[in-house]
This record gives sequence, C-alpha cells and structure tokens, in this order.
Amino acid sequence: MTESGLYQFSTVTVISLLAAFYIGTFLLTLMIGKSKEDADGYMVANHGVGFGISAASMTATWVWAASFYAAATSGYTYGLSGPIHYGFWGALMILFIYPFGIRIRKLAPNAHTLAEVVHARHGSSSQLILAFSNVIGSMISLMVNFTAAGALVAVLSPLSFQAGVLIAAVGVLSYTIWSGFRASILTDMAQLIAMMAVAVVIIPMVLYAMGGPEMLMANMGNLTAEQSNFFSKEAFFQQGAPYFVAVLAYAIGNQTISQRLFAVRQDMIKPTFLTATVGYGAIVIGLGMIGLLAAIAGIEPMNGDANNLIPQVVSTYLSPVMIAAFFILVISSLSSTADSDLTALSAIMMTDVYGKNIAKNNADPRKMLFIGRLTMIIATTIGVIMASMALDILVMLVFVGGVWGAIVFPVITSMYWRRVSNLAFTAAVIVGLVLFSIARFEWLEMTGPVAVFFESIAGIGGGVVLGLMSFGFFGKRIGVVVGILAGLALTYYGVGFLREYTVLLASLVAYGASSIVCVALTLLNREEFDFRLIGERVGDFDETESEAVDAVPANS
Amino acid sequence: MNVFALTAYILVWPALTAVVLAVIVTAVIRDYRHAKHSGSEMV
Repeated sequence: MTESGLYQFSTVTVISLLAAFYIGTFLLTLMIGKSKEDADGYMVANHGVGFGISAASMTATWVWAASFYAAATSGYTYGLSGPIHYGFWGALMILFIYPFGIRIRKLAPNAHTLAEVVHARHGSSSQLILAFSNVIGSMISLMVNFTAAGALVAVLSPLSFQAGVLIAAVGVLSYTIWSGFRASILTDMAQLIAMMAVAVVIIPMVLYAMGGPEMLMANMGNLTAEQSNFFSKEAFFQQGAPYFVAVLAYAIGNQTISQRLFAVRQDMIKPTFLTATVGYGAIVIGLGMIGLLAAIAGIEPMNGDANNLIPQVVSTYLSPVMIAAFFILVISSLSSTADSDLTALSAIMMTDVYGKNIAKNNADPRKMLFIGRLTMIIATTIGVIMASMALDILVMLVFVGGVWGAIVFPVITSMYWRRVSNLAFTAAVIVGLVLFSIARFEWLEMTGPVAVFFESIAGIGGGVVLGLMSFGFFGKRIGVVVGILAGLALTYYGVGFLREYTVLLASLVAYGASSIVCVALTLLNREEFDFRLIGERVGDFDETESEAVDAVPANS
Repeated sequence: MNVFALTAYILVWPALTAVVLAVIVTAVIRDYRHAKHSGSEMV
C-alpha cells in the first residue's frame, strides 16, 4: 500500500503483466490461417463466423472499462437497484437490436456496415450522416478506453498515465492491424474468457473478504431508505430511464454491433445476441455489486471520485495475485473494445468513404486493405493524443447521443416501409437533432407553452421507443398499438413533469421529433422502393473464386 | 431485503456469468473441432 491507499505493483511487475497480455494476444492472432488477407475478411470475416466466437466477441466488445466503473458507481449511489439500472439496460441494447438485425441481414446478406445498407436504400447523404455518427462514437470510445488504461496503470504502478495510454494503444494496434476484424473477434474470445473467469472469482472473494453476510447484516443501516428500495424512483429516473431511452440509439449508432451482425452466420444471429445479452448483464451487474458492497460497508471513495471504488475495494481486501487478475480484467475489457473500435473505423473508411463514395462501386480490394490499415494507425494516433490531452468530450458525447436518438426511427422504418425517402430520412435527423439541442442545452427556458410543446414531443418519443421495441419482437400491429397507447400515456403524464429531467426530456425529443418529420414526409411521398435492390447494390468487394473462373475467357 | 436474499442477490451474477462462460467455451470448442474436421477456419 502507498499513501494513495492503493496497492502498487513495481514497474517490472506492471510491465511484465502488460507484456504478457499483449504479446500473448498477438501470438493468438498468428493462429489466423490466411497470410494473404482480403478486404471482406478484414471487415466481416467473410460473413461466416460461428456462434461461440460471435457471442464471445459481441459480449467482450460491449463490455468496456467504463462498464465496471459506472455500474459500481451506480451501485454506490443508488443502492440495491443501482447496478441493475446500469447493466440491465446496457444488456437490452444487444437484445433489442437483433430482430431488426435479422431483417437488415436478410435485405443485405453481404453488407459490411449499416451505413452501406442505408446507402443502398437512400444514397450518400443519409449514409454519411450515419457513418459520421459511427466515426465520432468509435473515436470517443477509443479515447475513453485508452484513458482507462492510463488511469489504471497510473494508480496501480509507478508508471505515468501517458505510459499506460501508449502501451495500451501500441498493444491493441499491433495485434489488430494485420488481420483486422478476424484478429479482433478471435482475441475478443480469449479476452472475454479471461474477464469472465476473473469476475466469477473476484465478486464472491470481495464479499467474503469484507466480512460476508455478517457484514451485510451489521451495516445495512448505512443505506438510505431510497437506496434500500429495490424499486427506487430516484434510481429509475436518474440512472435507469435515460439509459433505457438510449437502448435503441446506442445499438443503431454503433458500427461495432453492425459489424458482428454482418459477420456471424445468418442462422446464428438470434442465439449469438441472446447469449451476449445475458453475458453482458451478468458480468457488468456482478461487478457493479462491488459498488453496492462499498456503500453498505460505508467506504468513502478515494478523492471523492466514485471511479476509484473498484480499484480501492480490490486493493484493500484482496491479495496481490487477485489484484493482478483484476488488472488483467480491466485491460481485457478496454482492449477488446478498443480493437473493435479500430476495426469499425477501418470498415467505415474502407466501405462507406472509399468503396461507396470515392471508388463508386469499382473498389480495388488491395487498396481497401491499405486504407483499412492506414485508418487504424491514424485513429490510434488521434486516440492517444485525445487521451493524453484529457480533452473534455462531454459536448461531443451529448451531440453524438442526440444524432443517434434522431437516427433510430428513420433507419429502422427505412428497412420496412417502402415509401420512406432520402428527404424524409435526412430532414428527420436534422429536425430531431436541432430540437434535441434546444432541450439538452436549454437554449430556450423550459417553462410555459415551450415546455408543454417539448414535453408533448417527448411523450410521442417515448411511444416511439416502446412501439419500436414491441414491433421488433411482436410485429407491426402490436408495435403500433403499444406505440400509440404509450405515446398518449407518456404525453398525459409527462406534461409538467419531464421538464425536471433535462437529459431524459432531450433524448425523448430526439426520437419524437425525428419520427414525426419522417412519418409526415413519408406520407407525402408516393414512390415505393423495391427492397430487392438493396441485395443487388450491396455485395462482397473481393472476387470469389467462382466469379474469378467465370471471368476468365473459355479459350484462354 | 433480508441478509440471505441480499447475499443471493449479490452472488447470483457471478453464477450466471459462469453459466454463460461454460456455454461460450463449449461452443468455441465445437466450432474449433468443426473447423479442424472440415479443413476450414474459425474466423
């Protein structure tokens, strides 16, 4: 222990742990057979990945370093229901996307990115709105994960924050750059197994090291009445509801999910996403329980920062070997997400920027591979700079959240409703984003008729969220009924109430406004789109062997 | 919430994690054997 109150590894130990992790991961990627990579393999592993690796990869990608810290903070702040209000809704992001994923994959079996499918449906402007939001999201994620590596190394060893950032960045880039997505999903599998194995052991160990059930019995009085209430209203409205509203937005806005959707064998989409839902929920809620235990035990977070809770508890109650296991758990979680962000960014630059907008469907697969690898190097460099400068990304994060909220309804309806046009899509996103910004940044005072106007749109937005979720699982009729009933109920109860919850109000406004504009402009459009065109317009970039044979003249 | 229920509530998550871990490891081994048998690749 040091003055900081946290266990300190020696420089040699921490470098050995990091070297063992990243060299081991790199050696694992050498198992990937083909020395000659192709563009489709680099982006989606040729659409044929099995259930085991897909489920592991989807789970590992969605679990990032912030998951543990945020779930523990939620447990510490809101008590019994806190970890649930972080992990459960995060897990639902994986669950609720799969019914739409099955539809999208059916329309475009050989797609690489969701934006590519939107390009086939609407053209460049809609595609680039989605691709741009994907890029911002992945860059933020990359920066946050590198920051988490720097912070972890800085608090548990004599090495500096910058050294931690740089080691993680070089480590992740080194094992991802050659084989791209194939390396990402293969290493995700190993990283997830390490994460889960550590989580299974570490949670009971912390509970019993702190004193077990006797400690719980003696200290339950440390929880407030609200924290002791499993159905805490405060926990739901402050933590759960804004996160629940973001369920569809995060899933649609994240290329890392789409990429796995296009990579897994088509008949394995459902079991893959169901398993990842349960896996993510179990590991994140479980580690969030450490925050709840800290609240019950009356532990004060170091420097008043709740993000220190898990390292603090692990440092205080567990042996050095288990602290090293915890170190590997966090490094695994941030590396598996960072490598997925790199492969997502490379796929967007390869497909959406070069393939669809520069080469115009006449793409050179070898040039695509070069672009993909170059993207990874540039993205890693930018991520390291952003992390090292500790940039305040809150406004950027809020902005991209608004874009994702505004984009959900137009993206999903475009895959089912023939009359949705490019104009309807683009106008819906722009109007949704503008009204979201007014509500979120409080550019207008939320009182009187202005507040009622925004609360009414938010009520409709709530109906849209619940309607889309019902539609995904139960079809159009139930989706419409649930959407209308929920919209009416939320508008009735929301007026005069939602203005107190700015984040929730703004998120719902993004959904509501974009949906209203999208529906209105779609009803004015009489032209019907032929969905078969999507499959014709979206295909593999590499020539298959059979196509290559066909291309050779018979008399040659 | 009584202490027994609270202890179970805390420990059910690592137990569920262990179940998912077993499902994933079993599936990966099956995929590996299938790939080896058919001469294809896992990824």
